[in-house]
Amino acid sequence: MRTITIAPKNAFRISVEAENISTDKFAPLTLSQINSLVVWQGNRQKTLSDLFTVEGDDAPATTEETTIKLIGDYSQVKRIGEGMTAGVVEVQGNVGMHAGNNMKGGLLSIAGNADDWLAREMRGGKVIVMGNAGNYLGGGYRGEKCGMRGGEIEVRGNAGAYLGEHLCGGSIRILGDAGDFPGAANQGGTIFIGGSTYLPGAEMSKGTITVKGEAKVLPSFLKTEIVQVDGLAFQKYTGDNVDNGKGELMVGVGSS
Amino acid sequence: MIIKGGIVYDPANGIYGDEMDLFIDKGRMVEAAKGEEIDARGLLVMPGGVDAHSHIAGKKVNTGRIMRPDDARIGTEPRTAVCRPSTGYTVPNCYAMGYRYARMGYTTAFEAATPILEARHTHEELEEIPIIDKGALTLFGNNWQVMECVRDKDLTKLAAYVAWGLRAAKGYGVKIVNPGGGEAWGFGGNVKSQNDIVPNFDVTPAEIIVGLAKANEMLNLPHSIHLHFNNLGKPGNYTTAIETLDLLKDLKPSRMRQVVHVAHMQFSAYGGTSWRDFESKAPAIADYFNCHNHATMDMGQLLFGSATTMTADAPLEYGNARLTHNKWSNHDIELEESSGVVPMVYNRKMLVNAVQWAIGLELALLVKDPWKVLMTTDHPNGSPFVNYPEVITLLMSKPKRDLEMATLHEQVPKRTTLAGMEREMDWTDIAIMTRAAPARVLGLEDKGHLGPGADGDVSIYDLRPEEVDTSLDHVLVKKALANAKYTIKGGVVVSKEGQILATPPGRTFWVDAAVPQADTDRLMVDLEEKFAKYYSIQIANYAVQDAYLPHAQIIRAGLPVLSEVA
Repeated sequence: MRTITIAPKNAFRISVEAENISTDKFAPLTLSQINSLVVWQGNRQKTLSDLFTVEGDDAPATTEETTIKLIGDYSQVKRIGEGMTAGVVEVQGNVGMHAGNNMKGGLLSIAGNADDWLAREMRGGKVIVMGNAGNYLGGGYRGEKCGMRGGEIEVRGNAGAYLGEHLCGGSIRILGDAGDFPGAANQGGTIFIGGSTYLPGAEMSKGTITVKGEAKVLPSFLKTEIVQVDGLAFQKYTGDNVDNGKGELMVGVGSS
Repeated sequence: MIIKGGIVYDPANGIYGDEMDLFIDKGRMVEAAKGEEIDARGLLVMPGGVDAHSHIAGKKVNTGRIMRPDDARIGTEPRTAVCRPSTGYTVPNCYAMGYRYARMGYTTAFEAATPILEARHTHEELEEIPIIDKGALTLFGNNWQVMECVRDKDLTKLAAYVAWGLRAAKGYGVKIVNPGGGEAWGFGGNVKSQNDIVPNFDVTPAEIIVGLAKANEMLNLPHSIHLHFNNLGKPGNYTTAIETLDLLKDLKPSRMRQVVHVAHMQFSAYGGTSWRDFESKAPAIADYFNCHNHATMDMGQLLFGSATTMTADAPLEYGNARLTHNKWSNHDIELEESSGVVPMVYNRKMLVNAVQWAIGLELALLVKDPWKVLMTTDHPNGSPFVNYPEVITLLMSKPKRDLEMATLHEQVPKRTTLAGMEREMDWTDIAIMTRAAPARVLGLEDKGHLGPGADGDVSIYDLRPEEVDTSLDHVLVKKALANAKYTIKGGVVVSKEGQILATPPGRTFWVDAAVPQADTDRLMVDLEEKFAKYYSIQIANYAVQDAYLPHAQIIRAGLPVLSEVA
């Protein structure tokens, strides 16, 4: 197992685009090669070692055997773990926008909070956030028809608005509350929300959304039966009927 | 500048792969010159590429950009010391258009459809496209004034309007898109054949086409009419294509060129009665072109992957949007046109797409005379223009076509004749289809060849025509065509091995056709009434001001020849 530890040299006032911080990029490189990987700060091109200290084993390893530990505050660092296929990226603080986007495998774990667009258009692998996540978690970026297509996301805290927008597969599990419009235009993914939310599943055509707490449901959903899941009662709806949707929406009853 | 020792293909001047030196002075080809020497020993040298049909500027291109932020993400390149940032793949930003054409060795591209009302926008974008020379064809096929002149059989007034419209739009030629259909779309309809009556105007598409073709020849315009057929993109539409072409076969051209250029023929060579029994009718179309000399076409080749369909054929785009459940933009251009934009993904496992792919290649391979077929993808309708090297290698290599065919829907060999085609094009064919023929079809005398006086536009590729086997080494050929070793534009090396070195502004060609003042006076009475009653802007604000074309190149046409004919 090869472990590489990265820490910012100072706090970033201007955000950093660091799509090169990923197990796939690091795995075949020695430490000095990693140090000279390109990152952008604002409109300036820099190397990783200009902004971060890099420590760890020097010898290259396979992607599966690569672990990256990120120490310190990364809330101004974007695109960490972009497109990674295997291995582990462990963030010990907060992480900036677009972390784990297009991820295809491996594990991205975040001990703090994640910003917007976490794991957008993800294809596989697993993302765990111990804190809260921002808006558009697992969504599709502007203009894209498909958001997340596979894999798993778990958020122990709350999530922002539009989580799982244009979801095409995979599963998202939020233990806290979710912001407005979770699962908008869902085309086949699964969403579980432990807390409450507002207007889930707008324009959904397929897939399942389960809300354990309270939810304001759109009038375009058809109310069907009450179902029991794991000893809890849920009101089941189908929709979204403005788009002839065949999605399932379940909202907890009796919890209020 | 001296280009030494290249293997030159300049079919317009009868040079087919001869080793020779080329000289450029003050931006033009000359017999002898001094200065910078470029070593092209043994390498493939051709005139700069000319794209006669591409959607590179104007409102619908910009609508595509606005609709497709997902596309803008693809192909982003940061600025360099010379270049501004690039974005996009099917709908790149203006700068990227110039850089990407130049990298492939292209130095000229024509925007294929601009309504007069939106020409100002087109020219603002054209001006921002660096390096390449440009022009824009002007839409006339659904214009109220055109249809009224045709209905009244007033050909001189029609010619006066075409001249006035080209001047107002700073346009280069007459583009006709689904004549009558765009007007009918204003009421949710379409025309189903060239003989349908256009609602409210009592004319047929056939009359509009013939009328505009006659006016085009009266005005002695450098380009012929540029026609997008009725029923485009529908199964069984090849009969419409052939019947429409037959209307024009007895017309006499006013210059040494075709009477009609057919845009993106691939989309109008369909057989069958529905998408279920959809099949290629490319052989029938190719036969027609082999037996007649009044028409030319461009391929409109479709390639698999992402595309953005954009056309003034708005009812077609409505169909596309319903078919794909994709985003759809629909636009009405007052008294002139309608238009639409729909993103598209062509899939090799989808039978219809695979047959469309084959039809474009069949057309190019079956028409015997390469001067009649231009290589295009109808950018970005069939595929973005950056994929031209793919199309060229498909035309040059049977093994490559076989490799592709093996990945397609298994019905393709039954629905098309492509599998049995042995023809492999050589560099002469390619130089004609991408250089000499587009320039001749457009009537650009100084483009597409390397004779003395021609523009100093030269492309040099890292390929040795005397050594490379274009049939077997198609991977190598494609790679070399994608990034020219040198692209020289007006005597300046603008691109070297894919790296942009200089970004001089390109010129914009437009045609100023003179007509008798009396005809214009009669026309203005009509136009003033239309502007007062219907247009959203005043006639005084309508025409594109000269300030929008700081690099204009005016081509004169019209009156002197007109009086000779009379």
